[in-house]
Amino acid sequence: MFKQHHVAPFNISLVSSSLGALLLGQIALSAHAAALMGFEDSAMLMSEIGRYNQEWMLNYSPTFGHAIGVEQMRMSGKGERATTISGINYTGIIKRWNLPAAQANVWFNGSVGEARGQYDGFAYTPSLQFDVESTRLYFLAKARMIRAPHMNFDTAAVQAGFSFYETGFNDTQPWFVIEAKTMRNNDPGLQVTPALRLINKNYFLEFGVTNPWQGEGFAPRLNAMFVF
Amino acid sequence: MKKLWIALMLSAMTPAAFAVTTIKAEVNGMVCAFCAKGIEKKLNALPQKQAAFVDLKSRVVALQLKEGQDVSNEAFSKVIEDAGYSVSKLERVNQTVAVIQADVANTEKAGGK
Repeated sequence: MFKQHHVAPFNISLVSSSLGALLLGQIALSAHAAALMGFEDSAMLMSEIGRYNQEWMLNYSPTFGHAIGVEQMRMSGKGERATTISGINYTGIIKRWNLPAAQANVWFNGSVGEARGQYDGFAYTPSLQFDVESTRLYFLAKARMIRAPHMNFDTAAVQAGFSFYETGFNDTQPWFVIEAKTMRNNDPGLQVTPALRLINKNYFLEFGVTNPWQGEGFAPRLNAMFVF
Repeated sequence: MKKLWIALMLSAMTPAAFAVTTIKAEVNGMVCAFCAKGIEKKLNALPQKQAAFVDLKSRVVALQLKEGQDVSNEAFSKVIEDAGYSVSKLERVNQTVAVIQADVANTEKAGGK
C-alpha cells in the first residue's frame, strides 16, 4: 500500500535563497506553463519552487514539437525524508490548433529515472496536458502520474486566468491565474493557488500563494521559465 | 534636353523608391510573446534581414529585406511554422517595417483589429 504523506512546511529561507539564485542565474520555467518547450533549436529551463514540491527541468528542442531534457522533482513528507526523482524527460506536442485569435495544444510530457530518499527505485512520470489561450484568456488541464515503488504522488490540475490588458510584443503582460491541484497522498488534498503571472518575450514569471493563505501554513510558490 | 534630364532623374530615383521589399504575413496562433519569441529570433538571424516586426494583436509578422536580397515565401513560411504557428495570409509589399509598424499602431489606437 502507498504510504500516507504529510507535507512538511517548506523552509521560507530556502525559498528566498532559491529565488535569488534563479533570478541571478536566470534559469527557470513553469512546469504548468502553456509552453512546455521552446522553438526549433532552442533550450528551455523551467522551475517550480513551492512548499509542497520543487521541480526543475531543462530541455532542448531539435525541432518543433519534440524536446528532450533532464528533470528533477523533490517532494517532502512530514516526518519523512524527502524523495527526489531525477530523470530524463521527453516532451512532445500531440496536437496543436492555431486559430486566428487563439491557440490550443495537447502535450505529452514524462520522465523516467530514479527515486531516492523516502522511496527508492525506478520512477516514471507520464502526463497529458491540454491548454487553450488567447491574448486575454487562458485555461489548462493536466494529469500526471508520479510513481516509484510504494510511492504515488499522482497529480491533477486545472488553471484558468485572464490578462489585465493586451500588450505589444515587446511589453510585459500581467495575468491573474488561479490553479486548483490535487496530489495523491498529500496534504492539503486540494491545493488552490491564486497567482500573478508576468509574461515577456524573454521570461515567464509567476508568483502565487497556496492555501492555507495565512499562519504557519503560508505557502508561497514561484514558477519561472526562460528560453534561449 | 530638359525632358531627358527629367527622365534620367526619374529612372535613377524610381528603383530606389520601390527597392523596399517586405514580406508581410498574418499568423494564426500567435497569442503569447514568450511563445512567439522564436519567430523574432529566427528572422533576426536571417542575413537578408533589414528589419523585422512581430505584433500579437494584429497577428502581423513582417520581414523587410535588404536591397537586392530575397527570401522565398516558402522559406519565410517555414520560419513561422518551425516556431509552431501557421501563416494564414502572405504578401509582398513595398513598405518598410517602420511604416507597417506605424500603420498597425494607428489601427490599434483607433480601436480596429
